[in-house]
Amino acid sequence: MRLLEDAAKAVLRDAGIDVPRGRAAVDAAGAAAAARELAGTDGRVAVKALVAAGRRGKAGAVAVCPAAEAGDAAARLLSMRFEDAPIGQVYVEEAVAIEREFYLSFAFGTLAPRLMVSRFGGVDIETVGHDDPTALVMRDIDPVDGLRPWHAAAAWDAAGVPSPMVPRLAELTVRLYAAWCAADGLMLEVNPLAVSADGALKVVGTMLEIDDNALHRHPAWEAMATETAGPGGRPLTEGERAVAHANRTLPGGATRYIELDGDIGLLVSGGGASLYQHDLILEYGGRPANHTDFSPVPTPDKHVAVLDAIFARPQVRGLLVGSNYLQLARCDLIIEALAIALRKRAVDTSRFPIVIRLFGPMEDEARAIAAQFPGIRYLPGGTSLAQACREIVEAVRALPADTPRSRPR
Amino acid sequence: MSILIDENTRVLVQGATGNQARFDMRYCLEYGTRIVAGVTPGRGGETVEGVPVFNTVEAAVRATGANASAIYVPARGVCDAIREALDSGIRMMLSLAENMPRHDAARAVAQVRRAGAHLVGFNTNGLISPGKSKMGGIGGDRTAALYAPGRIGVCSRSGGISAEVCLALTSAGLGTSTCVSMGGDPLVGMRLVEVLRLFEADPETDACVIYGEPGGSHELEVAQALRAGELRKPVVALVVGAFQERYPAGASFGHVAAMIRDPDDSATAKRRLLSAAGVRVAATIDEIPRLLREALGG
Repeated sequence: MRLLEDAAKAVLRDAGIDVPRGRAAVDAAGAAAAARELAGTDGRVAVKALVAAGRRGKAGAVAVCPAAEAGDAAARLLSMRFEDAPIGQVYVEEAVAIEREFYLSFAFGTLAPRLMVSRFGGVDIETVGHDDPTALVMRDIDPVDGLRPWHAAAAWDAAGVPSPMVPRLAELTVRLYAAWCAADGLMLEVNPLAVSADGALKVVGTMLEIDDNALHRHPAWEAMATETAGPGGRPLTEGERAVAHANRTLPGGATRYIELDGDIGLLVSGGGASLYQHDLILEYGGRPANHTDFSPVPTPDKHVAVLDAIFARPQVRGLLVGSNYLQLARCDLIIEALAIALRKRAVDTSRFPIVIRLFGPMEDEARAIAAQFPGIRYLPGGTSLAQACREIVEAVRALPADTPRSRPR
Repeated sequence: MSILIDENTRVLVQGATGNQARFDMRYCLEYGTRIVAGVTPGRGGETVEGVPVFNTVEAAVRATGANASAIYVPARGVCDAIREALDSGIRMMLSLAENMPRHDAARAVAQVRRAGAHLVGFNTNGLISPGKSKMGGIGGDRTAALYAPGRIGVCSRSGGISAEVCLALTSAGLGTSTCVSMGGDPLVGMRLVEVLRLFEADPETDACVIYGEPGGSHELEVAQALRAGELRKPVVALVVGAFQERYPAGASFGHVAAMIRDPDDSATAKRRLLSAAGVRVAATIDEIPRLLREALGG
């Protein structure tokens, strides 16, 4: 998860790194008050939309202005949307008079953390690397030995910064690495890493992504970690929220559920097999109404929640229940959940095609449950995943337009 | 022959007294895996599925000559478990836990590689050399039906897809020399290209099937090794997840690792890359046996 700028900068400040003073505000008055307190030597502040995304400057979500105008700037940002989501808070900080800008980041390469530095900062770093690959220096870091000052110095030296700056940049880089490791960071970008007019190195732009799998070591962040956005940062739909709730409150592994705009519901599983089935549905000309990746669970409840979210959407006209050969999960629990969800929404299975490709433990019991619903196609053992995808696409395509899917109550 | 494990592999199970470990041990023992020891600190002297449990890996190795470890401890204990196994001379490890903290994973993998050891995982269901041995839950209770002995090496980022591919091979009368589910986590112990190098050196493997997903550079490394002539055996690849290219970057749909961060990470780019390096790229699992036969000139 990406930390918001105030939290990210607090992490670095606590590690003794020079970060401009700043704080968050939820309205224009709060921003104006913060600006009066924080204005830099030239009386200016930066007001930024407090959203977990990069490239805010490009999107017009950052204003640098005299402190007296900070309230207006904040009011304007708070009325905007950023990547389709409302802006709820702004971050106000002292403006830094910048002499020079560099770039630094830590991220993971294939096997180890990787340091990336450039003598060009404050700009789109992909463009820098594209225009002049030598301007971007990459160094893998040994995760056991850590980053030593001479490793960092070598990187900055190779990046072509002036010699007198190398030792200070190296020292800051080592500190940033230590802070990044301590925070269980997945990525840290400092852009720009600024040299101010008085010669100090300051972390002006920062993005810190932390590892959700390490939140047990960071209880303060755990509460912030609830999934709040779908693909591209869009707000969660009603169905996605319902599944997220089920994931939090019911036992067993989490189910991924993402709503899309097609008409074929997917209850598919397997980190790989779910991707494979989604690809094939599209390949055969079908359009998935959602993506799923469900995990084994001890009771049907969680599957019921997902199926109910699928059936609740009027655009859904058919369903594929598909998985690779199950080695742990029980087939019957999944089909029992299907039966519960079908009855709850009074789905008429003679007019709502359902294809099941589910083999493994308790398969006979699962077949017996499915047989209670006319029209459900539980594919014979040995049928491939590709064949299952083809069948659901063809079945939905063959439906006359406007087929009602519910029985009259 | 086969790679990584065979009928002589003497397996110990770290975290043997947990539910998942017991469950998998039963099927592994039935299949013929020589599980010689379990380790759970504080439970030394007990038995699990008839296998003696020790308090430490060192004691288990000393008493039983174990030379491979299946690590069932939860993610937060994995770093120590791997280190303990390395310190006791174990050089083949399987780590099943998923969602390893990335810094822990990087440190553990670095230690394994410094020792010249092999680590399969994280987030794997195991590996199998059919007819000889298996480690992990791979195959469950129907191992023999899914995995037939044969001369095709399989390496996959997904345990579920491993099963489907090997079943397709079995149904087509081809069979598998070794199948390695290398793990679905973003940072895993072995690179795909390293597994293929082992298959290259294995006289009982004629060709390989690889399964890839968006994200990471495993397939790029394979393409480079093929072009450099380091790998000469035919390779058939299935790369899925092309649908993700229709959605915003950064959205994660399957394995967390399968996230596109860069256009070169996409399934379409990887298919193109592999194809240009001489790999036969399959559109479905169903056509893999035919592509293998073509590649092998049969």
